[in-house]
Amino acid sequence: MWRIISQRLLSLIFVLFSVTFLTFIVSSLAPGDPVLNMMGGRQDPVRYQFLRHMYGLDLPWYQQYFNYLGNLLSGNLGYSFKYPERPVWSLIANGVPVSMQLGLTALTVSVLLGVPAGVLSALWQNTWRDTATMTIMLALYSVPSFVIIPVLWVVDLALYRAGWPSLPVAGWGKPEQLILPVLVLAAANIGFIARLMRSSMLEVMRQDFVRTARAKGAPESIVIRRHVLRNALLPLLTVLGPATAFLVTGAFVVENLFAIPGVGYLAVQSIGQRDYPVIQATTILLALAVVVMNLVTDIGYTLADPRVRAD
Amino acid sequence: MAEIPTIAEQTAPARPWWMYFLRNRAATAGMVFILVALLLALAGPTVYQRLLPADQQRSRDGIFQDYESINAEASPVHWLGADYLGRDTLTRLLVAVRVSLLVAFVVEAINIGLGGLLGLLAGYFGGWVDMLISRLADMLFAFPGLLLAILISAVFGSTARELYGGTGRLLLVAAALSLVSWPLMARLIRSETLALKSRDFMLASRSLGASDFQLIARHLLPNVAWIITVAATLDVASVIVNEATLSLLGLGIEEPGASLGLMIFRAAGKIERYPLQVFIPAVMITALVLAFSFVGDGLRDAFDPRSRQSG
Repeated sequence: MWRIISQRLLSLIFVLFSVTFLTFIVSSLAPGDPVLNMMGGRQDPVRYQFLRHMYGLDLPWYQQYFNYLGNLLSGNLGYSFKYPERPVWSLIANGVPVSMQLGLTALTVSVLLGVPAGVLSALWQNTWRDTATMTIMLALYSVPSFVIIPVLWVVDLALYRAGWPSLPVAGWGKPEQLILPVLVLAAANIGFIARLMRSSMLEVMRQDFVRTARAKGAPESIVIRRHVLRNALLPLLTVLGPATAFLVTGAFVVENLFAIPGVGYLAVQSIGQRDYPVIQATTILLALAVVVMNLVTDIGYTLADPRVRAD
Repeated sequence: MAEIPTIAEQTAPARPWWMYFLRNRAATAGMVFILVALLLALAGPTVYQRLLPADQQRSRDGIFQDYESINAEASPVHWLGADYLGRDTLTRLLVAVRVSLLVAFVVEAINIGLGGLLGLLAGYFGGWVDMLISRLADMLFAFPGLLLAILISAVFGSTARELYGGTGRLLLVAAALSLVSWPLMARLIRSETLALKSRDFMLASRSLGASDFQLIARHLLPNVAWIITVAATLDVASVIVNEATLSLLGLGIEEPGASLGLMIFRAAGKIERYPLQVFIPAVMITALVLAFSFVGDGLRDAFDPRSRQSG
């Protein structure tokens, strides 16, 4: 087990190196002199040198990269180009808890809805209910979020016009403002998890030990709950990584369309202002979220599966 | 007396793949839809213009703003209405579909050329070639979802616009999306090549003196071509969504250019008054995505007898 965990940690270091290195390279290839942009019309050579030095832009690129890595390790994400001398962290700090709350709620909702849908579909295998559920799940999985959002808005609007209770379509802070964005963000993952759960259930139901359980006279509900479900849930752990990756891209769209001040929203704002360190930091934070989720998944899988544990 | 099939009968050529494809109704419908969409995207705006009264024909380039018909409803002059600047919705829709398909075409050309080739080389040569290509692919895989494409479009977006205008943005989006696409293709082709490499027909050709180039081009390529086709077709669906996502976030196609994502974003704010302006592009993108998914699945079933039997 420790061998597996140490292997995972090694690959984690590789992933972190890749993300920081590529992000650094892309951002430093950004055209134009950021310091000149920042100074605008004022051509002050002393100030120019000072700013270049402050941002470390007068160093060779590999030294800039190592400084950048060192700063990252000490929790410094760099300084904003738009607001000189303001750390990037102060610009996106408020967005981090917002995005985390949104993402984790969406993840929970997608598991809570996706798993039962997949399980029921497997139990109804090859009936019209199975087909209907799986068609809906396929639609949730493949219809892009920016198509689901207008549909929800229009339904919500119709409810409002009819005088029925309706939900706010934008903003952040109240619990009811969370409902629509979470549903949209969870949609793709619900479909993904339900389809995975169904095939995992069917796979386990074919196993010999399930037949044995039935043969010894165990009631169907016990067979399903104790023998099938517990084994079928295992592969679900592996989807947490990809599911988080879905959430990351989804967060950009959902936060921007619902005007939620998370990191995806702030990043897009900073792009308009050519504030590259902000988008650079956002990229690293979001990639890190996925990396951590993958690690948690791997360790969780190792702990949950006795076959892997014994290895 | 029982009929014993002759060897010729037993090995009679199976029906050609396209007969299996045509029996799949969803795939055939998807194929027809794609062909019609392609035709309309290419020739539609011009034909549409000719079908209108002579004095209205100027408003058909998708950019012309007809201030008399701002947010107009569908009429003989604007078949699907007009947007908030009085631009004809049908024309912009067709131009946007053209953009979607063009981006998808460029991305898949790169995806097949680069991803397919690198996958073949990595699988065939192994050793340090494989090491180099696989690690490069792994580095790009470290970024979840669209994150790298978002970073690249954000950093180089304004330069692309300044240098080459709308075309520059389109090419930048295509380049960013190809960078995200090719590692998966390379990985698929690599693993298939690895499996094929040790097969007897490869050994036989090699012992007859075939060169590396002949082995790759004459023996490996035809055997992985169907995987490349299926993977590229399925990837088109996500490229179309990704292009729309980037454009929606303001990182892809910009005004006055047309993109399905941009159309949805522009109209989203006034959805309660002009829902059709959102739903027309939304329905179109959903249809395109489903069509490419169906065709991709249909091709896979047609090419691969194993998936045909199980599904």
